[in-house]
Amino acid sequence: MILETKNLTKSFGLRKAVYSLDLAIPTGAIYGFLGPNGSGKSTTIRIMTALISPDKGEVIIQGKSVQAHGNMALSDVGALIERADFHKHLSGETNLQMLARMNGTDFTRVQTVLDRTGLGTRGQDKVKTYSQGMRQRLGIAQALLSNPKLLILDEPTNGLDPQGMKEVRDLICELSSEGITIFISSHLLDEVQKICSHVAMISLGNLITAGKIEDLLRDSDLLLTEVHVNQVADAVQLLYNQPWVHRCETNDGVLHIGIGQDKITDMVQLLVQNHIEVSAVIPKTSLEDLYLSKLGTESQI
Amino acid sequence: MLGLIHNELLVIIGRWRSYIGFFGISILMPLILWGFVHGSNELHQDYVRELGGTFIVIGNIFNSFLATYIIMNTLWIHIPFLITLAAGDSVAADGSNGIFRITLTRSVSRLKILVSKLLATYIYTATLLIFCAFWSLGVGSLVLGTGDLITIDNGILILDESQAWVRMALSFTLAILVMCTVATLCFMFSAMVNNAVGPIIGTMFLIIISYMIMGIPLEIFEKIEPYLFVKYFNVWWDAFKDPIPWGEIGKKLGILGLYSAGFFCIAVYVFLKKDIKT
Repeated sequence: MILETKNLTKSFGLRKAVYSLDLAIPTGAIYGFLGPNGSGKSTTIRIMTALISPDKGEVIIQGKSVQAHGNMALSDVGALIERADFHKHLSGETNLQMLARMNGTDFTRVQTVLDRTGLGTRGQDKVKTYSQGMRQRLGIAQALLSNPKLLILDEPTNGLDPQGMKEVRDLICELSSEGITIFISSHLLDEVQKICSHVAMISLGNLITAGKIEDLLRDSDLLLTEVHVNQVADAVQLLYNQPWVHRCETNDGVLHIGIGQDKITDMVQLLVQNHIEVSAVIPKTSLEDLYLSKLGTESQI
Repeated sequence: MLGLIHNELLVIIGRWRSYIGFFGISILMPLILWGFVHGSNELHQDYVRELGGTFIVIGNIFNSFLATYIIMNTLWIHIPFLITLAAGDSVAADGSNGIFRITLTRSVSRLKILVSKLLATYIYTATLLIFCAFWSLGVGSLVLGTGDLITIDNGILILDESQAWVRMALSFTLAILVMCTVATLCFMFSAMVNNAVGPIIGTMFLIIISYMIMGIPLEIFEKIEPYLFVKYFNVWWDAFKDPIPWGEIGKKLGILGLYSAGFFCIAVYVFLKKDIKT
C-alpha cells in the first residue's frame, strides 16, 4: 500500500468531520474518493497532505507517518487541493520555479510540466490573465513538478469545460500508466467510473464502503446489463441457472441481468447457441447507482 | 533556506503594497527637505539661540546631518506603519490567497517556511530604512550640504563631519534593529490570522497605546513602562551620545531581541499548530 489512513479522526468544535477512517490505497491504483458535500472528503485529504492535524490516528505514506515525520513524508507526493491558487501577480513559470526552488527540483522540470499540461506557450504570462481552467491545469502542473509517486487530487476538474475535463481525465490515465498512484476526490461519478479502479465512499465522516469498483458493484447486486432478445421467457430459463448470473429479471420484455463484465461474451454465446436472437447488450450499471444505494439513505442521517 | 528567502523576496517585490512605503518616503522626504531648505533660517536661529551663550556660531549649522537627526525624531509612528504594510501580508496573505494549499503540501517544514518569511520581512525592513537614509543623508547632502553635527540632548554634542557619518550609520543600524522588532510583532499577528489588515491594526494599536501610556505621568503607568518594548525604541539616540554608551545600547537591543524572540516563538507555535482550512 502506498497510502494508508488508520483510525483517522478529526473534529471541528462539536462537529465530527472524520471519524475513525481506515483507508488503504494500493500502489498503482486510481482511487476515487466519493461522498456528498460536507462528508469529510476535503478534511481527509488535508490531513493526508499535512495541512490539518488529526485529533487521532495517522496517515502513512510509503511507510512514513505524516504525523510523525511532518512534510518530510510528502517527498514523493504531488497534491492539488481544491482550487489552484497561485501568486497572481507572477507568471505561471515563476510560480513553478518558486515551488521547484523549495524542493530543490531541477528548473528544467518546469517547462516539462507546463508542456504536459498544455500551458507550454502561456508560462510567461501572469497567472491573473489565466482562465479558471488554465489555473487548474497549472495546479496539476505544480503537483507533477517533483516527479511524484502518489498524486492526491481534490476535485481536479473543477471549473473546467468538457474538453478540459477530458484532457485532465486523459492525463490522469496517462500518469497512471506510468506507474503513478492517483487518489482523486470528485463529485463527477461518471468521470470516476471512467478512470478509477478503486473507490471509497464516505458520509458524515464515516467510511461507507471501499474496494475495487467492479467488486463493489457485483457485491451490491448492482452490476446490471440490459439484454434485448426475441424469446424472453426461454432466455430467462436458460440464464437463471448459470452460476455466473447473479440476478435475472424482465421488465417490459427486456432482460436485466446481474453479470460480471468478463462474462458478457459467454452469455451472448450461450443465448445464440440456444437459438435465441440477441439484438442488443447494453451495460446499465453505473457507479451512480451504487453511490445512491449506499449514500442515498446514509446522507439523510 | 536561501531559495526560500529568494521566493519570499520575489513575492514581496511583486506585491504593489510593498511599494507604498517607498512611495510614501519618496513623497515625504523631498517635501521635508524642501521645507528645510526654505525654513532652515528659522531652525538655524533656534539652534543659535540655544548655543549663543556658549559658542560663537560661524556659518550655517543646518546641514543634512541635523536634518536627518530631526527627521528621525519625527518618524517613529510613520515608519512602523510602512513596515507593517509588508509584514502584515507576509503570512496572512498566503493563507487568505490559498497559497498555503500549494506550498505547505511540499516536503519543506513549516518552520523553514516561517523563518524564510521572517528573514525576507527583515530584509524589506532594512531596505526601507536604507531608502530613508538615502533620501535624508544622500539627497539631503546634495541639497543642504554636510558639516558638523550639533545635537542638544542633556547637553550639547558637536561631532565633526567624519564622526557624524559614522554616528549616522550606527544610528540607522540601530533603527533597523528596532524596526525589526516591530516587523516581528506584526509578523506574529500575521501568523495568527488570514487577512493582512488585522496585523497592521494590531501592531499600530499596541505601539500607539504604549506611547500613550509612556506619555501619561502617572505612577502606575511609570511602573508598567519598563515592560513596554517601545520604551527601548530610542536606542538609536544613543548613537549621538559621547562616549557612545555601548552597555546601554547592548541592554536595550537585548531587551528588544528578547521581545522579538518571544513574538517569533508565539508565531512558530501558532503556525505549526494551524489547520489550513482556507
